[in-house]
Amino acid sequence: MTATRTAGAARVPLPRLLARTCAAEWTRLWTVRTSWWFLLAAAVVLVGLGTVAGVESAGDPAQSGGDPVWAGVTVFVMPAQFALFGLALTAVTSDHATGGIVPALQWTPRRGVLLLARAGVAVATATAAGVVLVLASALAAHTAHPDLTLPVGEGLDALGTVALVVAAGAALGAGLGFLLRSTAGALVAVFLLVLVLPLVLPQFGLAWATSVAEALPGSGAAYLLFGGELPGMSRASSVTVLLAWAAGALLLGWLRLSRSDVR
Amino acid sequence: MIAVRGLTKRYGTVLAVDDLTFDVEPGKVTGFLGPNGAGKSTTMRAVLGLDRPTAGTALVNGRPYAALDEPLREVGALLDPGAVHPGRTGRAHLRIAARTNGLPLRRVDEVVEQAGLGAAARRRIGGYSLGMRQRLGIAAALLGDPGVLLFDEPVNGLDLDGVRWIRGLLRRLADEGRTVLVSSHLLSEVEQTAERLVVVGRGRLVADTTTEELLRGLGGRRVRVRCVRPDLLAPALRRRGATVEEVGDAELQVQGLSAEDVGEVADSVRVPLHHLSDVQQSLEEAYLALTAGSVEFAGQDPVPTGADR
Ligand SMILES: Nc1ncnc2c1ncn2[C@@H]1O[C@H](COP(=O)(O)OP(=O)(O)OP(=O)(O)O)[C@@H](O)[C@H]1O
Ligand SMILES: [Mg+2]
Repeated sequence: MTATRTAGAARVPLPRLLARTCAAEWTRLWTVRTSWWFLLAAAVVLVGLGTVAGVESAGDPAQSGGDPVWAGVTVFVMPAQFALFGLALTAVTSDHATGGIVPALQWTPRRGVLLLARAGVAVATATAAGVVLVLASALAAHTAHPDLTLPVGEGLDALGTVALVVAAGAALGAGLGFLLRSTAGALVAVFLLVLVLPLVLPQFGLAWATSVAEALPGSGAAYLLFGGELPGMSRASSVTVLLAWAAGALLLGWLRLSRSDVR
Repeated sequence: MIAVRGLTKRYGTVLAVDDLTFDVEPGKVTGFLGPNGAGKSTTMRAVLGLDRPTAGTALVNGRPYAALDEPLREVGALLDPGAVHPGRTGRAHLRIAARTNGLPLRRVDEVVEQAGLGAAARRRIGGYSLGMRQRLGIAAALLGDPGVLLFDEPVNGLDLDGVRWIRGLLRRLADEGRTVLVSSHLLSEVEQTAERLVVVGRGRLVADTTTEELLRGLGGRRVRVRCVRPDLLAPALRRRGATVEEVGDAELQVQGLSAEDVGEVADSVRVPLHHLSDVQQSLEEAYLALTAGSVEFAGQDPVPTGADR
């Protein structure tokens, strides 16, 4: 029995190995309550704010109607994104907090495969949830005030922007999770980079502080979501900033996971 | 088959494992013994690729664990049973394990049954007792029907029934031809199940031998006996070749005879016994004896002595 068993350790093609690990990560994600809470929080914020916006504009005689709903609802991603980042981030950190990383690496000893699957599933889930919930938010606004229009072209643009912002932020969260291994630490870091520092730094009125703020992921996200005009920033620069932060965090997370002992 | 070669692991200033070399062979239970902090868990973690060795290698079936695509089909391991996400049910935990290694989900039900987890498998792990977590860890280790099994202190926290169950399981797994390595800090815990013993102390190999030999090296098994007439019994035992030592009021410690022999001798001189028992030798004692130079292993190089016996 042992002879046949030890004769050949089966090689599994990498795509199949990744697919299996992703399936396992998917099960991991939805068999803990935290994920559902984060998803619920994002849904409440987006659908709730969408409904409120619709009701408000219906009651406002100054609003002539015929305005597209999209510009309004993408702004709601600004608060809601943190719940989605939390979802992605805890998908990574909860194993380190509970010791579940030990069996996880026992079952998937190739750490690159584990990182790819874990980050991939977390980011894809957060992104898909973001897009679906923004769509739901727009429909809620439209239902509350049917004069608000839902132009398809603009809608696709808006959903694309939301997908980009949420995917980059979720990847940042996952990367920081792998790097810091602590839920609280990674959450604080995400809040600082995405919310606090981009707001606070420009207040000093110092040129360098403002430049630093513009290079933070929160500024890029705000630029894209608010669709406003800011001196010194463009769509291209915002996208670059977001992707660079996401890639950088994942790289640092990979360095820690691949090099260190795990417990 | 597990092959550890020159394994060294340093945590900062702590040398947890120091140039350790030994093999674990199939078809037997091998006990991995050493006092607290001797480096047993560290060695197992290195075998499983969780800790990176500072030097040396640890191979399973000739390959590093981290290179295995489907490790559960080759190696099952129980480390810290508490290292699991408490929010999942036992079944969800096992289902994830099965997914990662491409194992059929019916194996989950089979190992739940085998590990005696029963209805608890549908409850959250956070509510499990230590014994149930132990069983869950064992279920996960058995999931892929592996040929190599590692258990780190599996009887820790188990009740008598659980201990007996683990002992039977270990024996059965070895009898099926599997390689079984089980760690403990108490010799008494593994001496009935393990045929071979790898003993470590302060990260170094102290002995690699059979259980019989180790006990003999310690001066054989000892028996304690209490009776009303030790003055009669002691000479009778000595006539049978035993070494007898008075250890207390009307109590003797006998070396060189089994408890059965002592009982017969007592009967032959018509001394009623009040107490008769085997002395449990703790590994701490064995370890001290082995390193104190008071037994035959003293002065031997810490190299595997088992292969040529
Ligand atoms: N992550 C770590 N950082 C620093 N020192 C460590 C670490 N892990 C283990 N050690 C040290 O390495 C030594 C060996 O520890 P290990 O856990 O392997 O011992 P053990 O034989 O399993 O002991 P026990 O019987 O108590 O489980 C100990 O001195 C321990 O303090
Ligand atoms: Mg230990």
